[in-house]
Amino acid sequence: MNALHFDSLVWHWPIAIYLFLAGVSAGAMFFAVLLKHVCLKEQAYRSGFVQAACIVAAVSVLAGLGILVLDLTKPWDFWKILVFYNPTSVMSMGVLILLIYQVFMYAWIAVVFRKPIEEWCQPRFPIVCKITTMLAKYEAGITGLLIIFSVSLGAYTGFLLSAQPRFPMLNNPVLPLLFLASGLSSGAAASLLGGVLLKGSPNGQEVRFIHRVEIPLILGEIFLIFTFFMGLVLSGGQSKVAALNAIGEGFWGLIFWFGIMGLGLSAPLAMNLFMNATSKRKFSYVAGTACLSLLGVIMLRNFVLYTGQMVVS
Amino acid sequence: MENSRRHFLKSTCALVAGVSVYPLSRDQANADTGIRINNLKYAMLHDETKCIGCNACVEACREVNHVPEGVTRLSIEQSGPYGKYPNQYYHFSRHSCQHCEDAPCVNVCPTGAAFIDKENGIVSVNADKCVGCQYCILACPYDVRFINPVTKAADKCDFCRETNLKQDKQPACVEACPTKALVFGNLKDPESELVMLLKANPTQRTKLDLGTRPKLFRITAKQGEIIL
Repeated sequence: MNALHFDSLVWHWPIAIYLFLAGVSAGAMFFAVLLKHVCLKEQAYRSGFVQAACIVAAVSVLAGLGILVLDLTKPWDFWKILVFYNPTSVMSMGVLILLIYQVFMYAWIAVVFRKPIEEWCQPRFPIVCKITTMLAKYEAGITGLLIIFSVSLGAYTGFLLSAQPRFPMLNNPVLPLLFLASGLSSGAAASLLGGVLLKGSPNGQEVRFIHRVEIPLILGEIFLIFTFFMGLVLSGGQSKVAALNAIGEGFWGLIFWFGIMGLGLSAPLAMNLFMNATSKRKFSYVAGTACLSLLGVIMLRNFVLYTGQMVVS
Repeated sequence: MENSRRHFLKSTCALVAGVSVYPLSRDQANADTGIRINNLKYAMLHDETKCIGCNACVEACREVNHVPEGVTRLSIEQSGPYGKYPNQYYHFSRHSCQHCEDAPCVNVCPTGAAFIDKENGIVSVNADKCVGCQYCILACPYDVRFINPVTKAADKCDFCRETNLKQDKQPACVEACPTKALVFGNLKDPESELVMLLKANPTQRTKLDLGTRPKLFRITAKQGEIIL
């Protein structure tokens, strides 16, 4: 069987990129909120990492939606997804989550960057200041709902693939958890990468905080991947065939063992432990580790999407 | 302040959980009440022992439903030959929509373009509502859906709901079959030929373990070989 073209393949790589971007956005927003509330408080808007997280979250969710629309066979009819809803469809509910998520995302960004926004708008568009003042009153609620919807969005990327009976490897209850965990870690990596590029200090408190969270997150991801495949093998039947086909020999086996387990998870874990132990944090270390994490998550999405569609129930 | 935030988060979580679970429970309830509304539920039987693999059904379907070249709503899959000359034979099995009672394609469709006709149980597609996300193609365990190159919408067998059934005729494939291997009828009518045959013969449906409750029945031909 060709690794990239086979009969049962329905959804191609653009869907994997979309799942990746949605996860990055959810993860970046999640960590932006954590950074503000745990480390930075009212000074959050000055931090390059929070700025990067907000830019990444806003751009990637729009880019993901763009890819999703272009991948339709009728791109001009995409508005029908926004008008007609089906409560049993994970995709339909996901669109709803995406829309609400974006509302709270922009509201939260407006609240956090209230000072620079108000300074710039006061002489030009005083009405904007009224809106930000009003939003600031509800900051607690906006933050809470943003966290709920970013976690929902991260999990949705997994539920989208698992909500069908045809492919046993995708129809797996661990998949949403795995995609949520890897989405959060990709969001953290994207914030770190963007932060150091925006002249954030590679040894700042933000980096130290994210690295501390990332270590258990990566360990959790490895455990979820183990559970994912263990569950498939123990289910027997086509689930077992699908699991062994995915992580066995061949192109995707290589991607899994060297790309995902090696470069995407073990290497960043080792680098994070090293940086924590020695407190040596250079631009190149932080950026390199973040790039590896992001690459690993892109590979994981493609790996799951393609190998998942190889074996039919 | 702290308390009210916690209270707010708690109630929001409860609301989100409730909203997401509600439609699932409601759907189960509707499935039973829907049956009692009317007395029509179409199904089909393919007698594989009578099928000769002539593909007349495929061509009739293409003509009546204007299915473009390159795609098809139905195909006859051939395997074999089994046995030794001169007693060789082939297996033919029909590959088309099974009109599931609990159809995965209908459950996953984001716009409701894929739907079950409540009047007669036919799983059908509203091409205007379809945006072409291909989620239904991904979800269908029977691999019978495709994108129609003309309408760009998902397409599949609908028991000729838009064509022959409207003219009170049998589906095109059934009319075309020279050996009467295809029988179409109403499962709710105990006098129908279909129900008589289903009661008198051992029949099979595929992938029942997925819980899709398909309505394409088959009388299987003798095995021909042993597969463990």
